[in-house]
Amino acid sequence: MTFFDTVAAETRKTATLPATAVALAVTVLGPVAITLINAVGVRAALRSGRPELAYTSPVEAVFSAVPIGTVGAVVLGVVAVGGEYTANSARIGGGRQITTTLTATPSRLGVLAAKAVTVVLLVAVAALVVIPASLALAGGIVGTEAPPAPEGVLSRSVGAGIYWMLTALIALAITVFTRNGIVPIIVLVVNSTLVSVSVLLSHLTPLARFLPDLAGTSMFAGDLLAFDDALAPVTGGLVMATWTAGLLALASAVFLRRDA
Amino acid sequence: MVLMLSVERLVKRRGSREILTDVTFRATPGRVTGLLGPNGAGKSSTLRILLGLDRADAGTALVDGQPYRRLRQPLRTVGSMLDGSGAHRSRTARNHLTWMARSNGIPVRRVAEVLDQVGLGAAGGTRVGRFSLGMCQRLGLAAALLGEPRALVLDEPVNGLDPEGIRWIRVLLRGHADAGGTVLLSSHLMTEVDEIADDLVVIAHGRVVAAGPIREVTAGYPTLEDAFFALTGATAGGR
Repeated sequence: MTFFDTVAAETRKTATLPATAVALAVTVLGPVAITLINAVGVRAALRSGRPELAYTSPVEAVFSAVPIGTVGAVVLGVVAVGGEYTANSARIGGGRQITTTLTATPSRLGVLAAKAVTVVLLVAVAALVVIPASLALAGGIVGTEAPPAPEGVLSRSVGAGIYWMLTALIALAITVFTRNGIVPIIVLVVNSTLVSVSVLLSHLTPLARFLPDLAGTSMFAGDLLAFDDALAPVTGGLVMATWTAGLLALASAVFLRRDA
Repeated sequence: MVLMLSVERLVKRRGSREILTDVTFRATPGRVTGLLGPNGAGKSSTLRILLGLDRADAGTALVDGQPYRRLRQPLRTVGSMLDGSGAHRSRTARNHLTWMARSNGIPVRRVAEVLDQVGLGAAGGTRVGRFSLGMCQRLGLAAALLGEPRALVLDEPVNGLDPEGIRWIRVLLRGHADAGGTVLLSSHLMTEVDEIADDLVVIAHGRVVAAGPIREVTAGYPTLEDAFFALTGATAGGR
């Protein structure tokens, strides 16, 4: 059994879960929908001669929609692990998929690594579709009235994709600890959409900029970041990647030792 | 075709409680070995350790002399079924078996073959959540047979099967053993074990209280049931 076989099996396993289809749909359609709303606002502001009332350009209309795509990335990461621990009802004999997974592939590090590869691949595909599509959509709506595009659209696009991938991996690692998808989904979705704990903490201490989500946001947010001491994009990306690596290492240690 | 399952002085603790104490037995090729004991005796824990799912605190559980976790394509060596189907409820039976096959380099044509073999040929596209208990047991067996393994390790395989299903599995397991394969199954149902097993390992409160060919274990008792209650110290009405 090669690692390639494990990756092929895990990719097939995750990609064929209904929850994965929902997560991919959210990752793709969510940012497109928000971009649409934002872009219409930008166009109206430009036409009325009051550009300060909305995001300043089609590009900002896109990048301010990134957090909604994060929701899909969180669900993908959670489902890849949480699905293993979903208990069947006693009526049909109970049991969980994790026993099948680990009897088929006893290498636990192999299983976890294959899940990480799967999640990164799925998020990458979604990002490659949604970010160019959103930029094209916003450009089309705002049209010729748009101000010249700011610098660094490509690097911010890549940054947004990496932010989603790392978020999905963090969600995956946390679900290894909880062995249940509900709690990580609620906590991470609320944190990335409604109330960001990191943003709240940033009002108390500048150290909050080193928290994974706030650090990672600097990869794509540009001037949108309502935070004075934000890290530079590359630094922010490295900080978030370090958090991700640390959580994955911890998750591996737990997964290796724990009874299935 | 020789494949021995050997469990040697296995100890497992949960918290401060010792749930397995010095469990030792073998399952040999060409024979059906029945692990018999009341609920909570330690049957499932023993099988989970043998399959590398749980860790023992002491002792060894080996497949042909090596731990399960070292097997390169385990599904081709040991087919196993623990509680239920082992499938996520929103998958179809076919989808479940297909990812399993992919993980161990098993040809995908085996998926249709085992579905037919267990009588689920027409239900391959149905989600597992819609299955009956009996269908889940059959899917679990299909998964065990997928890699054409030499050894089968089955936890309560007749659970939920109708009389026809029980007869079918008896014939299947007999055939597997007669062809030189190794079969280890657990059950708390004495009548079933009596009719399927060649060798018996009786376990109670985490200890092996008797082991050997079924006629030796039951020698001196009128029936297996009498032997079981005498050996396990259970009372007839106590379960």
